[in-house]
Amino acid sequence: MSVLARPAPPGSVAPLQRPGGAGRRRSVVVVAAGVAVTLATAFASLLLGRLGLTPGEVLDVLGGGGTRIQRWAVLTDRLPRVAVGALAGAAFAVAGALLQSVTRNPLGSPDVIGLGSGAAAGAAAAGLVWPGIVPVPVGALLGAAVAVAAVWLGTGRGFAAPLRMVVAGIAVGAMALALVELALARASREDALDIATWIHGSLAARGREDVAVVGLALLVLLPLALALSRPLAAVEMGDDVATGLGVPPGRTRGLGVVLAVALTGSAVSVAGPVAFVALTAPQIARRLTGATGPGVGAAAAVGAAVLVLADQVAQRAVPGTPYPVGVVTGALGGVYLALLLVREWRRSAA
Amino acid sequence: MSTPVPGTVAAGGPVAGDAAPLVAEGVTLAYDGADVVHDLTLAVPRASFTVVIGPNGCGKSTLLRALARTLRPRSGRVLLEGRPIDGLRPKEVARRLALLPQSPVTPEAITVADLVARGRYPHQRLLRPWSASDAVAVAEAMAATEVADLAARPVADLSGGQRQRVWLAMALAQGTDLLLLDEPTTYLDIAHGVEVMDLLARLHDEGRTLVAVLHDLNQAARYATHLVAMRDGRVVAQGAPEDVVTETLVHEVFGLACRVVPDPETGTPLVVPRRRARG
Ligand SMILES: Nc1ncnc2c1ncn2[C@@H]1O[C@H](COP(=O)(O)OP(=O)(O)OP(=O)(O)O)[C@@H](O)[C@H]1O
Ligand SMILES: [Mg+2]
Repeated sequence: MSVLARPAPPGSVAPLQRPGGAGRRRSVVVVAAGVAVTLATAFASLLLGRLGLTPGEVLDVLGGGGTRIQRWAVLTDRLPRVAVGALAGAAFAVAGALLQSVTRNPLGSPDVIGLGSGAAAGAAAAGLVWPGIVPVPVGALLGAAVAVAAVWLGTGRGFAAPLRMVVAGIAVGAMALALVELALARASREDALDIATWIHGSLAARGREDVAVVGLALLVLLPLALALSRPLAAVEMGDDVATGLGVPPGRTRGLGVVLAVALTGSAVSVAGPVAFVALTAPQIARRLTGATGPGVGAAAAVGAAVLVLADQVAQRAVPGTPYPVGVVTGALGGVYLALLLVREWRRSAA
Repeated sequence: MSTPVPGTVAAGGPVAGDAAPLVAEGVTLAYDGADVVHDLTLAVPRASFTVVIGPNGCGKSTLLRALARTLRPRSGRVLLEGRPIDGLRPKEVARRLALLPQSPVTPEAITVADLVARGRYPHQRLLRPWSASDAVAVAEAMAATEVADLAARPVADLSGGQRQRVWLAMALAQGTDLLLLDEPTTYLDIAHGVEVMDLLARLHDEGRTLVAVLHDLNQAARYATHLVAMRDGRVVAQGAPEDVVTETLVHEVFGLACRVVPDPETGTPLVVPRRRARG
């Protein structure tokens, strides 16, 4: 940035504008753009499919009309799918934004440090191994919590060492996935088939109850995450600075982790451990807004757009062969993760 | 700069006349086991410019962190305006007391104006995040530290000295009566160092209470109204600079043989190390 602000004339009281105005305006634009892309993609997804529909027909159905088959295609098949995609994408991204801020590192995202896999193991345990003891979303929540605790203990230094955190996260994630395989092996064949797609992260065959789970979770957790943004931004400046500003660092970090766990758990329970949305969406949002701090709102909008777009690609890239959405996000995010790791490696080697 | 930073008068609460606004009462401070500061008692006089000196590792930063409640004492307590600081609401403390730590973390990509604006956090509420008085406080803090020209620059691109002044501006923007500073002049060249000390002296003249850790004994003696000498986690001497900075004390605290002469400019004690005997 080369533009210098004009120095305030001596003795004058400087302009009454809020500093960071540019970043904030861009955040608003990014949120609006993310929501627009999500809605446009969602609308397109209602048109496309084996039963092709015109925009007029879709609007008709949404307005309460249409034929039985049209109503089924739009309201039962396609709408829940894209709604779960948007909501889960937002939940993953906010979880990522929070955890990256807590760890002060772009690698500290739920999918990289095994939180998503932990949630998947918890969901599999609750759904397949001991069905009926706790609901699947609660199982996912518990799994995510256990995974985050294991990573925290496993590094020996909490979340302060990024590379150790990734290594511990890979170990925890691998163990969690092994547990899922175990659950799969013991499950009935049709359950196992369901789980096998879900384990990559999939939005296939989602229903209204799934929309309700992640929708309610977001309704409660997103405002809390937004409220935690500024305290988290203070904690990013070090514990002494944060305390000096009246922000208790330990409590703030703890709340951030709890929110990230809850968001990841709810998203995984409906969409499976979709890879790397939590890793990439907050970083894309940060690049776009140029703002500092966790950037919860922009991350949510970008995460929703990324997941619904990726799901369309997964469904339609190879005609007749729909893939789980996690395959697409995994491929994209994997490249980005590799770049990040190389950079981190250089930095810590230097 | 004649305009005071707003919000300096501690709002509400019993302000007990001349009693010390900040007191450490028999504090023992430790990191993971080992005690660093032992049963230390210190009253910061109201409206003083208190300067803490002592050799590296003697516990100056540790003491300052305890006074700013970023480190909880293992035993003893810290009183802010007569009340235990741990019992007060964090934001309430932050409206009365600001801290410039020795090594703050600069957030990635943040601009000078944004960083300074973060000093206003304790004055803001969730639903009223930014007000005109915040803008005024930020502008004045940037003007006082002469970083207004840098407002739009990323902090990461600045020199160490510029960055130090930006962080100082953030602490100033907090608009508190009490200001704790850990080595505010460390990265500054001699001219900027003197400038910052003059700025601190002016803040002191406006009625604030300052506590600073300094390494430069001559600067300490020149600016302090109350000087505290520490060694091995204990206060060795405190009082007016003329009484504290003596040849015996400098030798006792720093193990340095020196002469103390009057500063030709101010008359305060000036420490001149003795020439090392050639062997
Ligand atoms: N975070 C920490 N964890 C463990 N030990 C610490 C920590 N910070 C400081 N110490 C130790 O406490 C002692 C006092 O440190 P402190 O930072 O208070 O010294 P100081 O007087 O400020 O020194 P300096 O002049 O070098 O800044 C030192 O022995 C130091 O090693
Ligand atoms: Mg120190």
